[in-house]
Amino acid sequence: MANVAIGLDLDLQERESLGARWLRTHASTLRGLASLLVVAGVWEVAGRTGRWPLILAPISDIWTRFLELASSGELLKHVVVSLNEFVVGFAVAAVVGILLGITIASSKAAKDVIDPWVSAVYATPTVALAPLFIFVFGIDAPSKMAVVFLLAVFPIIINTATGITSTDQIFIEAARSFSANKVQIFQKVLIPSALPFIVAGLRLGIGRGLVGVVVGEFIGARAGLGYLIFKSSQGFQIDAMWVGVFLLAGTGVLAVSILQRIERRMAPWRQFELK
Amino acid sequence: MTVPGGPKLALNSISMLYAQRGRRFAALRDVSLDIEKGEFISLVGASGCGKTTLLRIVDGLITPTRGEVFVDGTQVTRPGPDRGFVFQQDALFPWRTVLDNITFGLEVQGRAKREALRRADELVRLVGLAGFERHYPHELSGGMRQRANLARALTIDPDILLMDEPFAALDAQTREIMQAELLRVWRSNRKTVMFVTHQIDEAVYLADRVVVMTSRPGQIKAIIDVDMPRPRDLSIKRTPRFVELVDAIWKMIEEEVKAALRITEDGHVDTQAIATY
Repeated sequence: MANVAIGLDLDLQERESLGARWLRTHASTLRGLASLLVVAGVWEVAGRTGRWPLILAPISDIWTRFLELASSGELLKHVVVSLNEFVVGFAVAAVVGILLGITIASSKAAKDVIDPWVSAVYATPTVALAPLFIFVFGIDAPSKMAVVFLLAVFPIIINTATGITSTDQIFIEAARSFSANKVQIFQKVLIPSALPFIVAGLRLGIGRGLVGVVVGEFIGARAGLGYLIFKSSQGFQIDAMWVGVFLLAGTGVLAVSILQRIERRMAPWRQFELK
Repeated sequence: MTVPGGPKLALNSISMLYAQRGRRFAALRDVSLDIEKGEFISLVGASGCGKTTLLRIVDGLITPTRGEVFVDGTQVTRPGPDRGFVFQQDALFPWRTVLDNITFGLEVQGRAKREALRRADELVRLVGLAGFERHYPHELSGGMRQRANLARALTIDPDILLMDEPFAALDAQTREIMQAELLRVWRSNRKTVMFVTHQIDEAVYLADRVVVMTSRPGQIKAIIDVDMPRPRDLSIKRTPRFVELVDAIWKMIEEEVKAALRITEDGHVDTQAIATY
């Protein structure tokens, strides 16, 4: 609504019809929306034919099931459980990842000690360790948090370290020519220069962390969206399964957009580079 | 410690050796130069002659293999607030606004924010950036970025300004405007300036003396007094004396380039020599 109001205001000056202007400024959003609607329509029709009952439930059935699960409060329980697991695991991964990345980038000895572990563990499919985590941390939240942490932490470490070490030498030299000391160079040059890399690492971490939640809950859980998906598919409740999948997708989109907002706040100079 | 009557800046037989892929080569050999307070010196020479290296040594960013630099009789061992360095384009911090770039030097020194802002405000007006304080470097044209670069170096109020091809990336018109602007700023504060460039007309237009360097290893080949009155208008570039000076310097550099490339009499270029050059 706010957008329309602003559009109207500018309109009086530019003498472009309100409708045309609205179409132009929202063109990319409208195309995206149209694309989603077309696929949803095809899905609905394909689901209605009933030819693939184990794969496709009609969108309308999924929606009905969503409303059912939501009104009974069951859905909220699953969402809260998964969100809690994800947020805690990811927050710890972000803090530890950034600190380890900084350590690796600033000390050759630390790099030598930590690097082989990072390379080895990052390259192996760490989800394979999820069952072990359930043994160690139990069937409830802590085991999933550990899986999320393990999956999310490595891209954050690697990106932070890469961001810091790839700082353009000329910026460091410029700071040195103003007699900046090591701490100042770190705070005022290396960290801001690495910020875009760190954010990219966090974004990768979000994707991997969500995988961690789902896989962890598949293996053993009593609640959560992954548990909902797993349980529903086992019981051939395809519509309920899709409710879980859509909610997970929504969570991912939401998390990334929150991160983008934070990035815009923290690194306003980047907006222009991205354009 | 100030030596009365001594030069502002003294370079004392500076040599710089580099090791690259196991081979050592000399970038600078035995460079000595005295620069008076308030003097504007241009440094020219074929590319790779070590002019930028010399400037970095004077700033204290690198330590020469042999020789010393003295500012007012005190030996330079590291960068200090008595020297300001103006880098080539894009040395402004992209994550800071123009204003925050300009206050960087004072911020690092731990000066009060209010003092830094007042100082930055003066400089913004001096270099003609008023109204662009809140812009980020990428929002500025090349010429404006170099104005900001100059202002950033001037905030710490250095006695000596070291400028490393600051206008090299600018188009011809902007470069001329910036040259005139630099002289205007210099007239108002009379800093001692060492200005590295490969544009010979720029060197002559700006400087009291032009130092011509030989090809690698860089040595001082000649020092040319620019005996033209100040303040100088851009129109002096069309006077016979100016053209004469530029020609004389160009011939010296051409000799150096030819010597380095070993161009033979009939104009044939020794490709073997280019490869090692």
